[in-house]
Amino acid sequence: MRVYAICVYLFLYMPIAIIALFSFNAGRHASQLQGFSVQWYGRALKNPFVMDALQTSLMVALVSALLASVLGTLTAIGLQGMRGPVRVIFDGIIYIAIMIPGIVIGIATLIALVTVFDQINPWLAALWPEASEAPSLSMGMGSLIAAHTMFTMALVVVIVRARLSSLERDLAEASADLYATPFGTFWQITLPLIAPAILAGFLLSFTFSFDDFIIAFFVAGSETTLPIYIFSSIRRGVTPEINAIGTMVMLASLILLIIAQLILRREHKA
Amino acid sequence: MNVSPAPAGLSSDRFREETAPVAELRAVTKRFGDVTAAKNLNLTIDRGEFLSFLGPSGCGKTTALRMLAGFEQPTEGDVLIDGGIVNDSPPFCRPVNMVFQSYALFPHLTVEQNISYGLKQRRPRMDRSEISRRVARALDTVRLAGFENRKTFEMSGGQQQRVALARAIVNEPKLLLLDEPLAALDRKLRKEMQIELQDLQRQLGITFVLVTHDQEEALSLSDRICVMRAGEVVQMGTPRDLYDDPKTKYVADFVGTSNFFEGTVLSVKEDMAQVELADGSRFEGRASDSFRETETVCLSIRPEQIRLTGKAEDGAIEVVVQNRIFLGEHTEYLVRHSSLGNIIVLAPRQAELAGTAFNQGDRAWLNLSREAMLVLRQD
Repeated sequence: MRVYAICVYLFLYMPIAIIALFSFNAGRHASQLQGFSVQWYGRALKNPFVMDALQTSLMVALVSALLASVLGTLTAIGLQGMRGPVRVIFDGIIYIAIMIPGIVIGIATLIALVTVFDQINPWLAALWPEASEAPSLSMGMGSLIAAHTMFTMALVVVIVRARLSSLERDLAEASADLYATPFGTFWQITLPLIAPAILAGFLLSFTFSFDDFIIAFFVAGSETTLPIYIFSSIRRGVTPEINAIGTMVMLASLILLIIAQLILRREHKA
Repeated sequence: MNVSPAPAGLSSDRFREETAPVAELRAVTKRFGDVTAAKNLNLTIDRGEFLSFLGPSGCGKTTALRMLAGFEQPTEGDVLIDGGIVNDSPPFCRPVNMVFQSYALFPHLTVEQNISYGLKQRRPRMDRSEISRRVARALDTVRLAGFENRKTFEMSGGQQQRVALARAIVNEPKLLLLDEPLAALDRKLRKEMQIELQDLQRQLGITFVLVTHDQEEALSLSDRICVMRAGEVVQMGTPRDLYDDPKTKYVADFVGTSNFFEGTVLSVKEDMAQVELADGSRFEGRASDSFRETETVCLSIRPEQIRLTGKAEDGAIEVVVQNRIFLGEHTEYLVRHSSLGNIIVLAPRQAELAGTAFNQGDRAWLNLSREAMLVLRQD
C-alpha cells in the first residue's frame, strides 16, 4: 500500500520536480542536465515577449479577480437573503459554473461573444456618424476579463456564502437593535466579518485567472497571456527558459494559494 | 387609563409619555405560516417594573419579546411603546434594547467598541468624550472596568454576559429585553447574575422584560410574571399570587411543585369546595374559581404545606415512605398512599431535628389541611 502511494505521488509530482530541476540547467537542451545555473531565469525575465505576456496576464488576473470579488460578494449576500426555489436554482447555477470544464466555457464564450459581436457591429457602424471610425467589438482583453470573471465569480460566491452562513443571525439583529440602519449593519458588522473570505476569494480568483490556459486560448483574440505564450513556445521545442518561467509561475501560484488557505483557516479559529 | 390619541405637539407627547404604560400589547396575534406563535396577547408593561414571560419552549414568550424589539411584526393587533403604535417601526428606530441568549457580541470589536456601538449610531453624532464617559460608567456598573480593550471571545461566559448587559444599558433604553440571558451560565454564576440583574434594575430604574423557562428565576427576579402556554397568556400576577393562587393546574404545576389529585366537585359553599376523589375519599379545599357541581377538577397541595407525622391524627391519611432525599435545609420525602399514589412532602430541617425523621418503608400520616388544599380547574 505504501509503495503504491509513493508511486502515485511520484507520478504526480516528478514531472513538476523535473521542470524545476531543469530550469537550473546550464546547457541549452531540455533533456540533458549540464551543470547548475540560473542563467535561464535571467533570460526569461529579459525576454520582451515574456514580459509582455506576463503584463497581460497580471492585468487580466487583477481586473477579473477584483470584479469577481465585488460581484461574487454581492451575489452571495443577495442569495443569503433569498428563500425557496429561487435560491436553490441560483445555488445550482453557481455550482454548475465551477463544475463545467474550462474548454466548454471557453468554446461557449467564444461562440456567444462572436455571435453577439456580429449582430452589434453592423448597428454600431450604421449608427456612428463616421462609418469608418465606428468602434468594432472583437475578442481581446475585454472578452478575456469577462470570461475569467464569470468563472472565478462562482468561486468567490461559494467561499463568501460559507462564511455568511456561519455568521449568527443574532449579530445582525443585535446591530439593528443598537440603532444601526441596514446599511450601517452591513458596513460595520457584516463586511468586516466576511472580509477574510472575500480576500481569500480574491486570491483564489487571481490564481485561477493567472494560470488559466484553456479559456484564455479561446477568448483572448490577439492578446497573449503567459500560459498562451508558454504553449506557443513549446511548439518550437522545450527550452530551459520555459522551465524557468513555469517554475516561477508555479511558485507564485502556490504562495497565493497558501496565503488564501491561511486566511480561511485563521478565520475559522476566530 | 385614557390613551386616546392626543393632539400633535411636544407638550401632548410629554403628557402621553408620562401617563401611558411604557409598552403595551393589544390583541396581538402572530402567525408564522400555519403556526400561531402568539394568540390574542393583551398586556401592559408599567414603567420601572420587572416583568417576566414564563413558559416552556415554544410557548410564544420569545415571539412576544421579539415583537417588542421589532424583529417580528404582529399579524394582528398593535404593539405600543410609550403610547404610540410601533407595529411598522424597525428595530433600529425603537428605544428598546435587547440582551440576546447567545449574547451576540461582535467578535471583531473590543469590549469598549461593543459597548459604544449603540451610542455611535446616534444622529446627530454624540460627542466622543460623552461616549467614553458613558461607556466607562456602564463598565463600572457591570463591574468590568479595566476590560476596555479585551476581545470579547477571550472572556468567560459571565463576563461576556456582563458586556452584553453593558452594551444594552449604556443606551438608557425605555425597555430592556432579556432573552433567557442566564441560560448559558452554570448554576452558581446564574445565582450571582440574578442578584446583579435585580440590583441593576433597581439602580437604573429601567423597565426590564425577561423571557425565561426557569420558574425559580422568574419567581426570584420579577415584580410580575406572565405565564404563557401555547401562545396564550394563562395567568398574570406577582410571584406570590401565582404561587399561592394559581388559577389552573398548569400554573400550579409550572410555578413551583405541587401534588395533584383528580376528582369531581360535590358541593360548593362560599369559597370552599368539597371534592370527591376517584377512590371515594372526600376533601375540602379553597375554590380558585366558581365551580359547578360534578365538574371535574384538580386538588392541589404544595409539598411544604403537608405535615408528615408519626401517629394517626384526626383526618390524616396513612402512607408509606418510599424515598427520602436530604436537601440541606429541607428533606424531601416521596410517600405512597394506597389509592392516591405518590405524594411529595417537603419537611423543614427543624422537624428532622425534633426527631420526626422517617426512613424508607416507615408508616406515616399526612395532614392535609383544608386551607392548604386548592381546587383548580383541570386543563
